Amino acid sequence: MPYNIAMVSDNFYPQPGGVESHMYQLSSKLIDRGHKVIIITHAYEGRTGVRYLTNGLKVYHVPFWTIYRETTFPTVFSFFPIFRNIVIREEIEIVHGHASLSNLCNEAILHARTMGLRTAMTDHSLFGFADAGSILTNKLLKFTLSDVDHCICVSHTCKENTVLRASLDPSMVSVIPNAVVAENFRPLSHTEASHRHNAPGPPQRLGPDEIITIVVISRLFYNKGVDLLIASIPRILATNPNVRFLIAGNGPKAIDLEQMIERNVLQEKVLLLGPVRHEEVRDVMVQGHIYLHPSLTEAFGTVIVEAASCGLYVVCTRVGGIPEVLPSHMTEFAAPEEDDIVAVTGRAIVKLREGKVRTDLFHNQVKQMYSWTDVAERTERVYDGISGALSYEEFYPDGGTGLASRGRAGVRSFALIDRLKRYYGCGIWAGKLFCLCAVVDYLLYIFLEIFAPRERIDICKNWPKKVVKEGKGKEKEGDAATAKEEHGSGRKKRPHHRREKREEQGES
Amino acid sequence: MSARKRKERARSASRRRKGHYKKLLWFRQPFPDNYTDEKTFLDHLQRNPRFRPYEFWSLMASLTVIVQHVASVVIFCCSFVAIFQERVSPVSVVGWASFCSFLAWVLWDYWMGLEEAEVAPDTGKEADGKEGASGGSPIPPPEQGGLDPTTPQTDRGRPGYALGASASSLASDSSNTSKAGVPTMTPGSTTTEDLLPYEEPASSLSPRNQQRLATVKSALLIYAALLGLSPILKSLTRSTTSDSIWAFSTWLLCMNVAFFDYSSGPGAHLPASISTNSALMASTVLASRLPSTTHVFSLSLFSIEVFGLFPIFRRQLRAKSPYGHLALTVVLVTTAGGSLFVVLTGGGRVAYIAGVILGSLFTFIAMGVCSWWLIGLQKYKNEIYGPWDPARPIIRPRWD
Repeated sequence: MPYNIAMVSDNFYPQPGGVESHMYQLSSKLIDRGHKVIIITHAYEGRTGVRYLTNGLKVYHVPFWTIYRETTFPTVFSFFPIFRNIVIREEIEIVHGHASLSNLCNEAILHARTMGLRTAMTDHSLFGFADAGSILTNKLLKFTLSDVDHCICVSHTCKENTVLRASLDPSMVSVIPNAVVAENFRPLSHTEASHRHNAPGPPQRLGPDEIITIVVISRLFYNKGVDLLIASIPRILATNPNVRFLIAGNGPKAIDLEQMIERNVLQEKVLLLGPVRHEEVRDVMVQGHIYLHPSLTEAFGTVIVEAASCGLYVVCTRVGGIPEVLPSHMTEFAAPEEDDIVAVTGRAIVKLREGKVRTDLFHNQVKQMYSWTDVAERTERVYDGISGALSYEEFYPDGGTGLASRGRAGVRSFALIDRLKRYYGCGIWAGKLFCLCAVVDYLLYIFLEIFAPRERIDICKNWPKKVVKEGKGKEKEGDAATAKEEHGSGRKKRPHHRREKREEQGES
Repeated sequence: MSARKRKERARSASRRRKGHYKKLLWFRQPFPDNYTDEKTFLDHLQRNPRFRPYEFWSLMASLTVIVQHVASVVIFCCSFVAIFQERVSPVSVVGWASFCSFLAWVLWDYWMGLEEAEVAPDTGKEADGKEGASGGSPIPPPEQGGLDPTTPQTDRGRPGYALGASASSLASDSSNTSKAGVPTMTPGSTTTEDLLPYEEPASSLSPRNQQRLATVKSALLIYAALLGLSPILKSLTRSTTSDSIWAFSTWLLCMNVAFFDYSSGPGAHLPASISTNSALMASTVLASRLPSTTHVFSLSLFSIEVFGLFPIFRRQLRAKSPYGHLALTVVLVTTAGGSLFVVLTGGGRVAYIAGVILGSLFTFIAMGVCSWWLIGLQKYKNEIYGPWDPARPIIRPRWD
C-alpha cells in the first residue's frame, strides 16, 4: 500500500548536514519503493517556492522567518494555514518530522494530529537532562511526542535518550540507523570487478618506515573533542615518527589547533585543509590509513561509517551511539581521555604496520551493513504499523509483556478528548498549557475548514511514475529489484538513479 | 501487499525464536526495530551518581558564611540609619571600622609571615640561588611564590596581595576578588623568572615591607580620592526623592547578597564583581542623602571597608582558623541583631540586649530550619546520567 508522505524539517538542502542528507536519501528510496514523498522546509536564501529534486521529489520552501542557524521562529500556530493547504493539495496521509529541535517539525506534528493524519518523528540528536536549556527543550519534545504515533531514533543510545526525555513507551520507538551511500565512499584501489569475483589477496603490510596518515574530518567545535585532539597530536607524533596528520574542517577551535602546531613546530607533520565540501570528503579520506574521531557526544556518527567504507581503520571515543555503529575489527575504542587516545592510536598504528587489519575488505563489509534501501524498508514497516496495515500484535512484538501499554501505543485515536488526555499528563502546569494549545489548534482548524474549505483547494497532479512501477504491485517490485541485481540491466532504464541501483546490489 | 505482509509475519515469527538481542546497529538483528530488550535497555543509566547526603552540622557550618555576609549588610544598613538619624557620629563609625580594618590587616600580615616561613623551605632554595646570583636583588614576594606549582594550597595567601591591590582597584569599581583569581587560571605558568621583570631593581626594602608599603600607598590613594569625591557625591542625587533612593538601594543590596561569592575556593568571577559593584553603588546613593561632606566621606569609606575588604578577610579567616570564623559569626550576628533592634525601636541598652538574644535565636532557628529543609528536599533529587551525556575530556595539565 503506497503512502503519501510529507517529510517536515527546518533542515534541508541547500544547507549541508546529516539530517538533510538523511531526509533526501530516505525520501528518494521511499519514492523508489512506490510511495509519494514531499518535503516541507522553510525558504532559504535563493531557494523559495516549490522545487523538484531528482526522482520527482517535491520540496516546498515555506516562507518563514528564521531566527538562529536556519531555525524558524517558534509561533505554534502560524504554520497551520499553509501546512493544511499543502497537506490537502498533496493528499498526505503520513507526516514524518525530522530533528527534535526543528520548529517546523514540532508544529507540523501538532497540526497533523489535529487534522487527523498519522505522524512519525525521527530524532537525530542526544540531549542531556541537567541544564536549563535541555529541560525546556525536553518539555517541548514531550509536548510533541505525547501525541505522535511512532518515533524513530538513529541508535539505541538515542532511543534510550528519547524515551527518557519524552517519557515514551519504549515499544513505540524504533531504532533505524542512518546509512551511507557506499558508492560515494570507495577506497582508492577499489574496482568493482576485482572485488566481486576474486578472492581477497594477502594482507597488505606497511613497513616501519612507511608513512601512516591519520585523517580527522570534523567541524572544529568543543563537542567534537578538538581539545583532546590538540592535546594528543604532539604526543602521538613524538612517539610515532613516521606519522602524519591530515585535518579537515572549520570552526571556532581552529585557532587553538593552529596554535598547537606552531608551538610544537609541527607544520611539516600536520596539514590543515580547512573546510571541505561533503563530496570532497572521500578524496580526503582515501589519503589516509587511520581515521581519528575524538568526539565527546554523537548520536550515530555517520562519518566513521564513511571512513570505514573508504578503507580506513577507525579510532574513536566510546561515547554516545558510536560503540553500536561498527564491528570491533574495524575500530579501536578509546576513553575520552588524552592518555587513552594516545595509547589507542599507537596500538592502531602498530596493528596496521603488522598487517593485522584487513582495511582492504572494509568497503564491501560496510556496504553489507548499511544501505538506504534497508532504511527505507524499515521505515516503511513503521508506516505500516501506524496506519494500521500491520496489526497491533505484529507491530508491537512485546505488547503484552509489560513494557508497552495498550492505551499509549498502537493506532491512536484522533478524538480531541483522547489527545487532551495525553497532553494533560505532561506536567502540572505544562499539561494545562499544552491542552490549551491543542484546543486553540483545533479551533483554528475548524475556522480554516469554514473559511477556506477543502473544495477550494486544488489537488495537484502526481509526478508521473515509471511504467515499470505503474502496473506492478509492491511485491513484484521487490522481485524486479532482485532480477535487476542479477542481470545488472536496470542501469540503462534509470540513468539518473545509478547510484541507488548499485547500492541495492550491494545490499543483496 | 498481502504477500509482503505474509513474508513479514513469517520473518518476525522466526525472529522471536533465535538469537540474543545486542545493542548493535551494524547487523540486522532477528528482532523488529521497536523491540525493547528488558535486560539491556537503559543498562548504562545512572541516577544520582554523585549523591552525597548532607549532614546537619556541616550544613550549619556552611551556612555561617551566608549568615556572616547578611549580618554585615545589616550592620551597614543600621549604621547608615543611625548616621542618618544623627544618633551616631559618622566619624566614630568610620574610625572604629578603620581601626578594626587595621587590626585585621595586622593579623593578615602575621599570617603572611607564617606562610612565608612555611613556603621558604620548599621553594625558597631555587629563589635563594637566584638572589645570590643577582647580587641581593629582592626576590618576588612570597605571596606570589604561592603561585609555584609545588604549593598550590598557598593560593589562599594571595588575597594578601589582593588586599593591597584591591584598595586601589576598588575605587575604579574593579573587582578585587577577580583580580586575585586571574593568576589561578594559569597555574604554574608564572614561574619566578616570569615575575622578575616586574620587580623594582633598586629597592632597599624587603619584599614584605614593599608589600606593606604598597598597601599603605593604595590606602592613602583611596582616602584622598574619596576625600576629593565626597562633595560631588553629596549632591549626586539631590534631584531624586528619598523614596526612590531607599527602593533603589534596597534592590542593590539584595543583589549584593544574592550574587555574593560564598564559595570557599580561591578565584571568583563575574558574579562577585556584580555583587561588589552593586553594594558600592548602593552605598554611594545612600551617602548622597547625608547632610555634610564628612558624612558622605565616612559612609563611603565605611562601605568600602565592609563590602570590599571585609569579605576577603572573612574568607581568609575561614581558611585559617575555624574557631575564629565561628567567633566572628557570633560577634557579627549579635551586633547585627542588637543594632537592628536599637534602630527599629529607638531604644537603648535594653533594646540592644533584647535584640542580641532574639536575633541570635532567630538566626539559629532559621539556619536549623533551612538545613532540615534542604536535607528533606534531597529525596526529590533525580539526576540522570547516561551514555548520551557529552563526555568530559580528561586532558593532562601542561607545564610548558
